[in-house]
Amino acid sequence: MNAPAVGLHDAVKSFGREAVLDGVNLNIAEGRFIVLRGGNGTGKTTLLRVLGTRLRLSSGTGSVFGFDLIRQPGEIRRRVIQVSVAGGSYPMLTAAENLGFAARLYGVTVDAGAVLERVGLAQVGGKLVRTFSSGMKKRLALARLLLPGARMWLLDEPYTTLDEDGRELVDALLNEARQRGLTVIMATHGDARPGAPQPDAVLQLDGGALSVLQRRES
Amino acid sequence: MASNSGKSTGTRPLWLTVLGFVTLAAFLVGAWYALVMAPTEVTQQELFRITYTHASVAAVALAATILTAVFGAMVLWRGKPIDDVRTVAAAEVTTVFLAVTVIGGMIYSKPTLGAYWAWDARITLSGIMLVLMVGYFVVRGMIGDPLRAARVSAVVALIVAAGAPLNRAATSMFRTVHPARSADMPAELQFVLIINMVAALLVFAWFFLERARLGAIEARLEAEREGLEAGSSSVKEVVNV
Amino acid sequence: MEAFRGAGDLRAIGVILMKDLRQELRSRTVLTATVFFAAVTLVIMGFAVGGQPDVLRVVAPGVLWVALAFAGVITASQSWVNELEDGALEQLTMYPVPRATLYLGKVLANWIYLAALAILLVPVTVVLYDVQIGGRWPLLFLVLLLGTLAFSLVGTFYAALTVTLRARESLLPLLMFPIIIPALLAAVGASTELMYFADTVKAFDWLQLLVAFVLAYGVLCTAVFHFLVEE
Repeated sequence: MNAPAVGLHDAVKSFGREAVLDGVNLNIAEGRFIVLRGGNGTGKTTLLRVLGTRLRLSSGTGSVFGFDLIRQPGEIRRRVIQVSVAGGSYPMLTAAENLGFAARLYGVTVDAGAVLERVGLAQVGGKLVRTFSSGMKKRLALARLLLPGARMWLLDEPYTTLDEDGRELVDALLNEARQRGLTVIMATHGDARPGAPQPDAVLQLDGGALSVLQRRES
Repeated sequence: MASNSGKSTGTRPLWLTVLGFVTLAAFLVGAWYALVMAPTEVTQQELFRITYTHASVAAVALAATILTAVFGAMVLWRGKPIDDVRTVAAAEVTTVFLAVTVIGGMIYSKPTLGAYWAWDARITLSGIMLVLMVGYFVVRGMIGDPLRAARVSAVVALIVAAGAPLNRAATSMFRTVHPARSADMPAELQFVLIINMVAALLVFAWFFLERARLGAIEARLEAEREGLEAGSSSVKEVVNV
Repeated sequence: MEAFRGAGDLRAIGVILMKDLRQELRSRTVLTATVFFAAVTLVIMGFAVGGQPDVLRVVAPGVLWVALAFAGVITASQSWVNELEDGALEQLTMYPVPRATLYLGKVLANWIYLAALAILLVPVTVVLYDVQIGGRWPLLFLVLLLGTLAFSLVGTFYAALTVTLRARESLLPLLMFPIIIPALLAAVGASTELMYFADTVKAFDWLQLLVAFVLAYGVLCTAVFHFLVEE
């Protein structure tokens, strides 16, 4: 039997005195689509960053696809793509160059033109990201999800700053991910969208504790 | 780590108190020898007496920077709280010893070499190492998260220790007007130096052990306090999706 | 199921290096900041020491390397500031490449900037400080390369730490300068020998120290870099 996509045991992450994650026990099976809810500053981003190996737990253990967060972070990073709120692009490079940079570091070749076309940036592939609106920057960040090879997506507020067209793009990407059996964990504020797939579970973070708001009936 | 019940109750264990008295005795004996028993040195006379302490403290301080780095390496390798406690304790005592070296050097330098700071190899080396060790505490203070502060400052401790041999080479190629080395000293003066060396080592060891003991208690109290704050609802829901 | 292959170590270093160079070529931030700063330093120091030719000749190597040290702070700081906008640094640490490759790619970029600056500054120093170098150019060139590499190794390392903190402008020199003292002494010492006393033996001693510094810190900083960018 395969290891779960995510396994967290008594996970605690404190910043100074404040425990943002306070004893989280979580198991997520592979291929699930999980939505994470909670007000500002409740730790959704922290949880995503812990799973992406960007943050170290203060105590407790965790694994992604069976790889330990502390001992085997490299293996985890080879299987996970994260889209953060800020996007992570370089203003002084073009959209195509940004994408090419990411592709090369992931060790994959990519048809930048086709990918940018898919996210609606075909016309501005050769323009500096410095000239982009925040919605365009978000589309460029989403383009990274189209690099072949990921097994899990960690999405932090993917819908923000996008117009309706962009939001439908996210819905489409989520549906594709579902079909391909990717595990997706998405933190979001907004209401559930009709075009998006129905999540397997909606979780809530509050006061450092994780609870289930809603489960999909199977 | 010593499984000594004294450390968990907060009172100083007997062996440490005994060591404290031994250290005090060594210090007094060393001082007695340096100030009274040692024959007056030919060229520099009474002022030379500071050398016994100064050279001892300087040597221990320099070696202690390596010790601090060793504990820092443990923090990076193992990450147990006691490793960080030991690193900080070593860093603190090392910094004090380096400061004493620099001040002693300046006191000695003014009457003998004519200036408080003669930019010669050894005093400059101690001065550089002192500034580097201060850097350890500066970095520690800069980082809010205590776990990260421990790891990053441990990295600094390693960087600082790597600087010891490099700075030693650089400063000795730089300029040397430092007084004669201990190898040139007559036997009876060497004896006094050795006593003071032992005393300096004991003083370092005692202050380090005491400081580490207090740090460990502090760390334990902190952990208990956090456990109390967090653990009220100790039954955490397990979420399986 | 699949996984990303990730880039090989050397390839990753190359990718980071090319990205940094490309950013700099377009924005020219480092170029403008360092060239003007270093040139101004040389001129001001000339005034500050009184302008006497014999004094100028003595202090020339020291002033040159101090200017390069300050430029080292600027280049190192900027190379990480480039990552702050739009959360690029966060994304950078997420790629399946060793964190050390991020460090080494930037070290190389900063080395290129500093070495280019050094080569530019030598004729300026020759003119302003009335220095003769004669036939010892190759060795001096080597000293320039090694010294700037030393500054880049230490600066890039500590800048990764200070870039996320508030007082970063004052903190980086405070942390970096004491560490580079052996390299500074060696670079100035070697440059002095090569510029005046023609004592190539002594220059080689200093050069050895410089090589030792670069090797020691090159290995150490690369090995422990990942602790700096973890949280």
